[in-house]
Amino acid sequence: MENALGLSGGQTTMMAITIAITILGLSGLAAAIFLPKRWQIKYSLEFVFIAGLFAMAWYGDWNSTNVYTAYQDKMVGEEGVSGKEVTEDDEFFDRTLTVVAFQWGFAFITDDNEISRNAAVVKPGERVLFKILSNDVIHGFNIPVAGITAEIDPDEMRKIWIKAPDVPGKYLIQCVNYCGVGHAQMKAWLVVEGPEDDDEDEEETAMNMEGTNNGA
Amino acid sequence: MAHEHDAIRTGAAPHWKPEDVIGKMTLKELFFSHDYRHIALKGILTSMVMLGIGGMFAILFRTELMVPDVQMMGARVYMTLMTLHGMFMVFGFLIPLAISLCYYMAPKVLGLDKLYWSGYAQASYWTLIAAVVLLIIGRPDFTWTAYAPMSLRVGDELIWMGYVAIMLVAISEFLAGLVLLRNGLAGAAKTGWSKLPMMGWGCLSVGILLVVSTIPLGFIGFGLLSDWAQWGETAYFDPARGGSVLTFLYIFWTYGHPAVYLPFIPVIAVLYTLMPRILGRPMWSYWSGVAAFGLLTVFALPIGPHHFQPAFTIAGPYQRVIQILTMLVFIPSVLHVFNWIATLWFGKIPASAKRSIPFKFMIASIAFLIYGGATAYLNGQISIDSDFIHNSYWIPAHFHAMFLGFVGQMAIAGIYYLYPYFTGRMYNQKWANMHFWMWQIGIFTKVTLMFYAGYAYFPRWVFDYLPIPEWVFAQMGITLGAYLIGAGFLVFMFNFAWSAKRGTIAADEPWPVEFDEPVASATPAE
Repeated sequence: MENALGLSGGQTTMMAITIAITILGLSGLAAAIFLPKRWQIKYSLEFVFIAGLFAMAWYGDWNSTNVYTAYQDKMVGEEGVSGKEVTEDDEFFDRTLTVVAFQWGFAFITDDNEISRNAAVVKPGERVLFKILSNDVIHGFNIPVAGITAEIDPDEMRKIWIKAPDVPGKYLIQCVNYCGVGHAQMKAWLVVEGPEDDDEDEEETAMNMEGTNNGA
Repeated sequence: MAHEHDAIRTGAAPHWKPEDVIGKMTLKELFFSHDYRHIALKGILTSMVMLGIGGMFAILFRTELMVPDVQMMGARVYMTLMTLHGMFMVFGFLIPLAISLCYYMAPKVLGLDKLYWSGYAQASYWTLIAAVVLLIIGRPDFTWTAYAPMSLRVGDELIWMGYVAIMLVAISEFLAGLVLLRNGLAGAAKTGWSKLPMMGWGCLSVGILLVVSTIPLGFIGFGLLSDWAQWGETAYFDPARGGSVLTFLYIFWTYGHPAVYLPFIPVIAVLYTLMPRILGRPMWSYWSGVAAFGLLTVFALPIGPHHFQPAFTIAGPYQRVIQILTMLVFIPSVLHVFNWIATLWFGKIPASAKRSIPFKFMIASIAFLIYGGATAYLNGQISIDSDFIHNSYWIPAHFHAMFLGFVGQMAIAGIYYLYPYFTGRMYNQKWANMHFWMWQIGIFTKVTLMFYAGYAYFPRWVFDYLPIPEWVFAQMGITLGAYLIGAGFLVFMFNFAWSAKRGTIAADEPWPVEFDEPVASATPAE
């Protein structure tokens, strides 16, 4: 998947490092208790360990910064982790949606000022830019299928972008920051339309979605 | 490798005599005595009650979460239980229990034989009780992080009690910090800095963090109260009236991040106190432990922003500094773990240790520290944090492994260790073993499935969820794990009460170091 922050090479490596560290620590602990052989560890080994931790931190920072910068550089006016202002790249995004997160739901506003409550309608494989605003409390914006989460602070616009899934269907968008009693119902759908879908289908989807939201 | 004089700094010399302190204690002494053992026991017993209440809340909302849809409670009730669960466990159980164990151990281990500034300890205790009463009456539902402006717009007209409770918690922890700092300094004055036992370094380290970090927490409570929609005297945190959410976040996490070390550091000091006594040999390295305490104290304060990054004011180089410091903060923890494993490894494990319940809980807690701590490497990286970690179940999984798996279990090890000293009797071994295994299975199940749910993007703070197969499976398993932990707690409480009256009388030295065969034997045991 082209989503810069999705589970791709770098993340798998980090997971592997984490699991390796866990196994190393647990087997060291088990060996220290159960192995018959006793071992007087030299002090110098601890410094080797610390050097290893520095290397891990350096690698983690390097990888995270690269991934995040590559992701952010696609967006306008955002100060990247790299610290540089990135320039406009109109060609890159197929669709821009302004999102208003509110207690409790999401409103998606297209460039043509069409407002859709709780449904972001996109085409398969499109690159979509979300400009997200909140005018009440802190909200979250998470699209599991795209592997992206953002925290939305009031009065400040957050931009995130995704590459829409290639398979048409309804994908979950959810709030992940506690924002009041309606938090659990604060969901929306990323509706990926098939190539032949017309307006009728869209209405149907909207109804389904509404049922899902209020059904609970 | 360990030096001879480490025996003084970390060793077995001063110890208590088993005595029925609880049985002999009058009600007046329990409430008002300034004897360090009475104050500490009051804290320990109260934190057990808090663990019971906070755990009961968890069992209730976990039952709701077991399957999708609404079974027994709506969002308001669920969030109240969730908020009180978090507050009771962190402010009522973990931090006071860890501090009370220091109150009990420091005077003996540091050779002071009294708790300096015990009046402040007394005041700290009663301030906390007042906060608990306010929490129970006010029933806030704004989660323990009380994120403004949400926390200003929830609840009913009693919600102000929640804000005042936050202020009282800050005052209580500030006073406790003064007490620990004072006793750490008194210990250093007595032994000299190079011979100060690890308990002393722990008291100093957590004392500094408590005193420094509770000031922002107090301001959070005050700011929320004066910002509160029904009063609206000020607008520090409410953007609708010109306040700033980021101001709230910075101030809150200046307390909120060190807060996770507030119970963490004291139980590490308890571990350093117990391990050499149970093994009958000094720690592998004294200065490595001291350095780790120092580093943790220094690193704890500036890295709070990793809880809400990336944000507009956390970008560019600042964001990278936070990211790097967050990943480096596990160096002190690794220094501790390395020290413990090296200590276990350089000599034989006595048969007496393998039998003893405090030792079992200690080893299990170290295992959970490794398990939960390793994931911090992922949490610190912004690119991964912005995928499945931020506010998914991954985060509660991480802090339950640390808070319950490590801190909680290590504190329980401390209680089992002190048990003969304050009841004069030994706990029942069979029930204690039962408690141990119920907790290991329960906590491991719960934590692992919480990681799994987080990886599947299960959001935090929801009382109802979509019937996605991964989510349903995880929630069912977490709830069953929670039931097992709850049952283990009941076994523990029963053992605690029953053995205090009917347990075998403790020997003069309840924790003798015994080997099954001579240490020099060619064929080691096991």
